[in-house]
Amino acid sequence: MDVIKEKIDKQTEGENIDLEKYSKVLKRKLERILEQLIDECDEITAALVSGIDGMAWAEQAKGNLDENRFAAMSSALLALGDNLIKEIHKGKVKKVLIESDGGNVFVVHAGSSLLLTIITHEDANIGMPLAHANRVSEEISVLVQQCVS
Amino acid sequence: MIENLTKIVFTGPVGAGKTAAISAISDVPPVSTDVACSGDEKKIKKTTTVAMDYSYIKLDDGRVVHLYGTPGQERFNFMWEMLTRNGIGLVLLVNNDNPDPVGQMEFYLDAFDSFIKETGVVIGITRMGISDQAGIMDYQLKLMERDQVVPVFEIDGRSSDDVRILIQALIAMLSV
Repeated sequence: MDVIKEKIDKQTEGENIDLEKYSKVLKRKLERILEQLIDECDEITAALVSGIDGMAWAEQAKGNLDENRFAAMSSALLALGDNLIKEIHKGKVKKVLIESDGGNVFVVHAGSSLLLTIITHEDANIGMPLAHANRVSEEISVLVQQCVS
Repeated sequence: MIENLTKIVFTGPVGAGKTAAISAISDVPPVSTDVACSGDEKKIKKTTTVAMDYSYIKLDDGRVVHLYGTPGQERFNFMWEMLTRNGIGLVLLVNNDNPDPVGQMEFYLDAFDSFIKETGVVIGITRMGISDQAGIMDYQLKLMERDQVVPVFEIDGRSSDDVRILIQALIAMLSV
């Protein structure tokens, strides 16, 4: 781990963290976090971590999910949300929430480079999955910080 | 056709200059959804569009033309379809400083085929001066091979005048 840290220290000057450099380690950790999340919260049917540029990083789903397509859509949604808020000068986006007949979708920032998408089943309430989403996004943000500092 | 003039869509591969072109001609600060790139795309440029670029221009006669730019990457092709809905024409930008620019032109012509058939397309080749691997003739030959008649211009995507010429050419085509 120290070797990785040293490498990362050298390569991550400036704001945009280059996640690619330690992608394998991070991917594995992210997958474990998502696996745990789905285990803990019955209402969540799928969870996905992607880069803000729409690249899929890690995914856990009960059933099928086209992670690449979903990652791209999530980043587009959140980017539009960010810009809409910027347009009216009301601070930063916490989440984008979509309610539908077949379940809900939350998209939240997870640090500056990643975002978390959570899909719930149709009978799920909003509170519990959202609380999990907030906690896990914070966890991911800390994980990325740890990896680069 | 021209009475319903509302919306023109800019598309093309990553790094062709879509965001720059829209920002060069717009009358207002454009809405853009640029974020930092990762992976291989980072080698080409620092930021990329993930949802859309939007702006508008006023023509000399007072009409307003809405401009939408698509993300370049194929993984965002769901946005391509959404953004072309009710569009009146397509501006395809191709970066000549790429391994296979003529092939890229073909890819986007195919991807937007049904939209182009309903409306029209003009092509702007950017970074012609930087790379001479393909000339205007190479693009035209490929278009002839495909049995398509499309105006092709060499442009600087950052130049307001150049982008305006593309739009005028497109509108002229649609009015015929």
